Amino acid sequence: MTELLEIRDKIKHFYSKYEVFILPIIKLLLAFLVLNVLNSKMGYMTKLDNMAIVLIVALMCSFLPNGSIILFGVLFSLLHMYALSLEAAAVGLCVYMVVLLLVFRLGASDTILVVITPLLCSMKIPYVIPVLAGLFCTPSSALPVGCGVLVYYLLRTTVASSSAINVMEDTEFSAKLRILIDGIIRDKALLVTIAAFAITIFVVYMIRRMSIDYAWSIAIVAGAMVDVVILLIGDLMYDINISLGGALLGSILAVLIAAVADFFARGLDYRRTEKVQFEDDEYYYYVKAVPKMTFVTPERTVKKINRSRYGRSEVRRVVADNPATDLEEQELDSELEELF
Amino acid sequence: MLNEERVILMTHMASYEKGEGRKNMKIANYFRGDYVTVQVLKSIVCATICYAAFFALYIFYDFEGFMQDLYKIDLFAFAKNVLRYYVIVVAVYAILTYFVSTYHYVKARKSLKVYYYNLKKLGALYNEERNESLSVGGHK
Repeated sequence: MTELLEIRDKIKHFYSKYEVFILPIIKLLLAFLVLNVLNSKMGYMTKLDNMAIVLIVALMCSFLPNGSIILFGVLFSLLHMYALSLEAAAVGLCVYMVVLLLVFRLGASDTILVVITPLLCSMKIPYVIPVLAGLFCTPSSALPVGCGVLVYYLLRTTVASSSAINVMEDTEFSAKLRILIDGIIRDKALLVTIAAFAITIFVVYMIRRMSIDYAWSIAIVAGAMVDVVILLIGDLMYDINISLGGALLGSILAVLIAAVADFFARGLDYRRTEKVQFEDDEYYYYVKAVPKMTFVTPERTVKKINRSRYGRSEVRRVVADNPATDLEEQELDSELEELF
Repeated sequence: MLNEERVILMTHMASYEKGEGRKNMKIANYFRGDYVTVQVLKSIVCATICYAAFFALYIFYDFEGFMQDLYKIDLFAFAKNVLRYYVIVVAVYAILTYFVSTYHYVKARKSLKVYYYNLKKLGALYNEERNESLSVGGHK
């Protein structure tokens, strides 16, 4: 455990020291991943499917605000949809308009989740999102997460319908629209996933704010379980073909990632919990203080002992946290006194 | 001389001004009614644009059928229906915006109250320090 705490402290120290460089690098990596996944999954516009363009845009995103990643993600996906067909771009534009004009206008926080959610969905690890959002964000983060799920299903439907759209004539615009719109609306998995993620975020948030020991750990496990249960109920009700093994494995992975995140973000030591009560003129306070797990790096101190009264001086190295050295020192002192 | 309490307070305030504070100050520049009205008006515009886009999608979803029925259907009743749905969508979104923007406004004012309290405290710390230095100078 002490080794883990030491590693955590080192990472924290490293991050605080080089935060100016680490944050742009994280943004660059995120933008690079998002654009690369878009190019690899869609890639209908061959001009965009170019590593140089992706790198330049990712570099731009690294020093621009977080919103730029969303903007370029939207732009790239719309251009790919446009290359596939104008109808696909129209459907995409409508969905993005709802997300950007209606949902984000209401002041949703943590908007970057709208990019991270489809990214993790395409990487087959979506279950980690609601648990982490519930832990580190507010319940309003259900809005960007829900929008992220919607965007993922839009892109997935577009990719799934691309072969059918490609063989259609240009004049069949209504048929193309029908394929895409029906593909999104009739996919009950979309609604079930949005509901499962929103409820999970809410459950995790509520539990982690409770004044109980191990609230965060309980919230992580309960959130993962609620997520799986809702998905299974949705599967039973609407037959959405959710893989039980995948959901379970994904939830276990979500629990592990969330536990690591909790350890790095907080790392509380509930064994040393203190409960105190006090009052002032207006209130009576019941305070529960949970100390953080800390690791104190052993410091070596050099103690100088000048023994001028004996006509000599010496410098001895004493390890502060080793009580044996004090005894050795006393023995040495007595020996010195006997000698002089 | 460095005053630790003052430095901590200034750091907190600077961090607030840089992040959340900037947004809150913009909100607090308005009167409550003005802010909420502006937000509701913006929402009406956004909802109108989205409604128009979705209406276009609805028409093109079954364009052949729509064109065939165009001469059969009662256009006035159709337009009335479209308008009715538009009013419902816009009204629901505007009401939602009203509540959300009122909540944001109240929250921003509350948060700025704390900021101004800290500003006063900072001023008092400066005054205290100045008085102390004056009194030390006076003794000399």
